Amino acid sequence: MIYTKKSPALVIIGIVMMLWGWLNASGTIDGLQSTLQKSAFSDHTKVNEKFQAELRVATEIAQSEGKPAPEMKKPESKFDHAKALQTKFGYLFGGAFVLIGLFILSWKPSAGNLDYYISTVPGMALILLIAFVVRWGLDPMFGNWGKAVKAAGILSWDFAKIFNLNYVVMGILAGIVIVNVFKIPGWAANGVRTARLFLKTGVILLGTLYSAAELAQLGLLSVVMIGVFVLGSVWLTLLMGRRMKCPNSMTGVLSAGLGVCGVSATVAASPVVQAKSGEIAYTIGTILLWGVGCMFIFPTVGHILGMGPVQFGAWAGTGILNSAQVAGAALAFDPHGIETLKVAEIFNITRVLFLPIIVLWLAAWFVKHEESAVKVNLGEVLVAKFPLFVLGFIAMFALSSTGAFAPAGHYAGKYFSSAEVKESNLLKPKEIRALEAELPKMETPAETTALQGLIANRKIMTREDSQALKSAAKIKGLDELAKGAIANAQKAAKHDSKVIKNFRDWLAWLFSFGLIGLGMQITVASIKQAGGKPLIIGSVVGTLKAVGSLVVVLMFVKEFV
Amino acid sequence: MLTAKTILLAYHGTEGAKRAEALAYEIISREGGRIVHLLIVPEDVWVGMQGDDWLNNASTRDTYGSYVEGVLEKDAAEQVAVVEAHCKQHGLAYTPILRLGDPADCVIAAAREEKVDLVVIGPPRSKKESGLRSRMELDTLGRGLPVPYVVACGE
Repeated sequence: MIYTKKSPALVIIGIVMMLWGWLNASGTIDGLQSTLQKSAFSDHTKVNEKFQAELRVATEIAQSEGKPAPEMKKPESKFDHAKALQTKFGYLFGGAFVLIGLFILSWKPSAGNLDYYISTVPGMALILLIAFVVRWGLDPMFGNWGKAVKAAGILSWDFAKIFNLNYVVMGILAGIVIVNVFKIPGWAANGVRTARLFLKTGVILLGTLYSAAELAQLGLLSVVMIGVFVLGSVWLTLLMGRRMKCPNSMTGVLSAGLGVCGVSATVAASPVVQAKSGEIAYTIGTILLWGVGCMFIFPTVGHILGMGPVQFGAWAGTGILNSAQVAGAALAFDPHGIETLKVAEIFNITRVLFLPIIVLWLAAWFVKHEESAVKVNLGEVLVAKFPLFVLGFIAMFALSSTGAFAPAGHYAGKYFSSAEVKESNLLKPKEIRALEAELPKMETPAETTALQGLIANRKIMTREDSQALKSAAKIKGLDELAKGAIANAQKAAKHDSKVIKNFRDWLAWLFSFGLIGLGMQITVASIKQAGGKPLIIGSVVGTLKAVGSLVVVLMFVKEFV
Repeated sequence: MLTAKTILLAYHGTEGAKRAEALAYEIISREGGRIVHLLIVPEDVWVGMQGDDWLNNASTRDTYGSYVEGVLEKDAAEQVAVVEAHCKQHGLAYTPILRLGDPADCVIAAAREEKVDLVVIGPPRSKKESGLRSRMELDTLGRGLPVPYVVACGE
């Protein structure tokens, strides 16, 4: 069988991307970009004004000394950086797609691996194009509209923020709209299927961003929460299914889907409980209906309740029926950081580790209740259902713990370094005087030593001093200027880790890509299958799981990581 | 009285399909005719059978794919056995056809290929009845069929 479909689509996508890169590089669309990226453009204007002023002064000084005008390099603003990134991505991916597209048009494919791999490129290009449009166009556009509507007094709230209309949610929505309105074109079908590979790669790479303490705390929390809610919802579904006289196969497949990780659990458990095609369709419909609904509702509720990343990640990781929407909800809640995603994915991994156990439980349950049931082999189930990508996640965690990617202290994205404090960020004499006046108010010797060190060096020298000054800043009656000085010194000593920042950027792209692709696999026809007794059971179990886990999280989970 | 020598019967075991089958036997020529039994696996339902699963290994997905194919094959074999036996009882020739796609498009294509005189289908399923929700687009059917079609309405 030949998989590669001859179509000019890949070449066209490549040309569009390259054109976008050129428009950015040439400055032709600076007007549009300044509207889309208002805050970056405002930074750009400030940087420009400052540079012009510095250049003017330097030129005047040079002229007064009879020297030629100095050559100064303009610093890169956030706006310049954003445009440079779009140019780079446009040329890089666009160029590659044009070349591969031309190769496809001129090539006579024969059955084999090359044909299969090449056939995935057009679909991946389509998803990437959608990701560009959503991330660089729709996300800032809706952000601006939300603010404008609020500023105009039409609404008293920012609708884009409340409904989490960011690149993640809109990417998934774009995927759902494309598959249901236009259908996925034949040339893109194979590439769209690679979305799950990118999501798994994202989870594996995420392994680099945990500290051992973080992983231990989150792991324990997730095992307890998932243990209670997964086992509880499987048990409740089995009970309700029996009471409502559903066939055993229907009850079995529904309990896996509602209890563990949604559609993936349905796929894993269906053969074991000998589910009929209609029963599988009912289960998938119910799960997708709940999953997609929760992906929109959870982040809004999370913001209203003022939840932090750990609380929200734990809630979404436990309460959302379908695992694909867990990542979506976490990124929708916190699109520009990945703290929530880190928590939610630990819960997702714990869920999938529970999957082989639940499949075995259901197999035993089915054998007990159904005469025609075939006994399954314990070892075979455990090996076949074990999620291999979790090993990749563990390997990346182990590697990062050895400092293979960045120094150990960098994993949180920011690190402490006194040596790297810029001259311009050293405390000013006025701040030093304010701090000297507050020395007698220090409550512990550590605080006194730390403050003395800060006064002497105009910057924080050690991590221990930083900790001591954190508590010193909370002393009641401390002068506001002194408090501000401590805060400035703390800020100056914390630096962004470039390696970790790049990792985070790549992760955001991987998840964005994966979720758009998964959105393309959610059909309205599948959701429409939801109905009857499975929907009733799904609604009861789904609601109990969502509300129950919310209550537990609010009562017992603190922002401790 | 309406009569036909070759009837295309869309049958997949539902209550409506059973009424369509009974009606087909009433209509078909007494001098011997042929029932073309069309079984459709709606493509939108089939495509959605793997949903947005992303956590499973390739081996689990393969097992699942083979399992669902096996289930559909078994269902189809059961339906074929039922209608084939009924046709035998009525002394009619029998041709089974299995298609994957949009229900209305499948009926139109099969009617053309098999050169049938009449198409008989069941009514849209009541919402209370369980089963797949894929609907036959009667409008598409009416515009595309080269022959008349009859819907076996009633209780």
